[in-house]
Amino acid sequence: MKIKYHIEGGDFSAAGIASSEIKKILKQFNISPLLLRRIAIALYESEMNVVAHAYRGTMHLDIQPSSIQVVVEDEGPGIGNIEKAMEEGFSTATEEVRQMGFGAGMGLPNIKRNSDEMKLTSTPGVGTRLEFKVIF
Amino acid sequence: MKDRDYTHSIQIDPERCIGCSHCMRVCSTRAIRIIDGYARIQPERCVDCGECFRVCPQRAIYAKDDGLDNLPVENYKIALVPSVFIGQYPSDYSATQVLDAVRQIGFDEVFEVEQTVDFMKEAYQSIAEGNSSRPLISSYCPAVVRLIQVQYPSLTGQIMRLKAPHDIAALYLRISKEKEGVDPDKISIYYVTPCAAKIVAARAPVGEAKSPIDITVNMTVIYNKTSKILYDTKKPGLHKTFANMSPDSVNWSLSGTEKEYFPGRSLAIDGMDNVIEFLEKLESGQISDIDFLEMRACDQGCAGGILCPANRFLTVERLSDRHKKLQKLKDRDNGRVVNYLMDCSKMLHEMSGVDPVYPRDGLLLDEDIEKALIKLQRIERLMSYFPGFDCGACGAPSCRNLAEDIVKDKASISHCVFVQRVMEKNYKLSPDQAFVVIEKIWGKGRLDKYAGK
Repeated sequence: MKIKYHIEGGDFSAAGIASSEIKKILKQFNISPLLLRRIAIALYESEMNVVAHAYRGTMHLDIQPSSIQVVVEDEGPGIGNIEKAMEEGFSTATEEVRQMGFGAGMGLPNIKRNSDEMKLTSTPGVGTRLEFKVIF
Repeated sequence: MKDRDYTHSIQIDPERCIGCSHCMRVCSTRAIRIIDGYARIQPERCVDCGECFRVCPQRAIYAKDDGLDNLPVENYKIALVPSVFIGQYPSDYSATQVLDAVRQIGFDEVFEVEQTVDFMKEAYQSIAEGNSSRPLISSYCPAVVRLIQVQYPSLTGQIMRLKAPHDIAALYLRISKEKEGVDPDKISIYYVTPCAAKIVAARAPVGEAKSPIDITVNMTVIYNKTSKILYDTKKPGLHKTFANMSPDSVNWSLSGTEKEYFPGRSLAIDGMDNVIEFLEKLESGQISDIDFLEMRACDQGCAGGILCPANRFLTVERLSDRHKKLQKLKDRDNGRVVNYLMDCSKMLHEMSGVDPVYPRDGLLLDEDIEKALIKLQRIERLMSYFPGFDCGACGAPSCRNLAEDIVKDKASISHCVFVQRVMEKNYKLSPDQAFVVIEKIWGKGRLDKYAGK
């Protein structure tokens, strides 16, 4: 089952709506609460990354009987150094974003921690593609 | 592990219900449907918050309690009365006077539940020292606990594993009465409840096999009897001479006092919608660094309980007066509080814990994930036929709920009045058949009534 959501960059007030909708859908499946929590956190963090850093993006979901695959693609500045971006506490978020309580540099490490597979690719100046999978 | 005990207090009287659907529209967990002309509650989704009770214009919705009818004559009968009950009456009536009036209904003893708050405060301190995952969510409001079980399954582990104050009060009374030589088998403990959720908590508690409360009684019933006694015999002079509990205890069931006693950062949230909004964010990991969440399904906490006859804001004001009165007594006694319950605090600590709370199945499409996926695909397909403005004419609160009901074989696509028109145009449904469909949802003769008869 495939589902697609649009995410608007810079719209902090709407951040979390896509992941919340997906969470509602996942609750209709017989998956363990712990797993649901992991997926919910990974979804929110990936949505937040688009809101905080990119101009716009899409979230593609593919729910299978044994797993959920998420692909988040955005148009934005991209990530120059992926290794660095994966470090806990590293963030390029602007002061403005940080003052809103975001940009602590925990987003990507959090997604990695809460998913079973994760792949991050980026072209600076073009955009970023994040792919992660959680196995039920 | 799953919790499949769907005992409820909230009931709908089919004799009174006219199928107006007011309740269906306000239900937070989307538990109500209209079938055959009256509202039905889906037991796996209902959390007994009582929002439906508030809006029912027919007073067809009621909270089923155990009632006063079976007062066993030979038993030692104790009434547990929450402070909000005292707040039902103007401050001219002293707490002692109100409690004595309750006793006159036919109890041997009356005990104010909030006397356990001094114990609760201690318990919070020791729980805070443990290394449970944060934030802990208060187990005080049974409607909130059940809401989490139904709608936020991943948060059940955050619920504090502590009994409610009235349960602690019941345990204490059993201990102390036994010490006084009362046969424990001959003690009946009644709880005067401000809401339906607490009736369910006593009848079918989560995290424990049996509640120490024997019988629940609707606060409105006690209010009516007590009012008669108070207005008939206005006996002045019944006043407390010392503070029998910390003065702010009386506010425990309202919003904002409980949270003050959990060390660290805590928030107090009241009202169903507010609780839901917050739990939604909490579940996504959007909220961090909070140690404790005090949550009440009712606005203004238990003062807003559905079985409290008085206005909630007046109740809050009266309890604040009462707080001040107790503070004066305490100050006069050089800050001394004489709470006998605290003599048993060690014993109570050992008995106050509960087992973990487990999620419920209310939202599940199917046990089998593969089947659930097929159902979800069908739901998405069905959604493209529905108008999407949740008119409720199908007897379900939203288009999505109708789609869910259809894939669960509880409804049919022709229940949608818009789809009906399309089906009629394409000769898939005759006007007579459409008529039958509407009668199946809204009741026989429902359409006749509006034809000028």
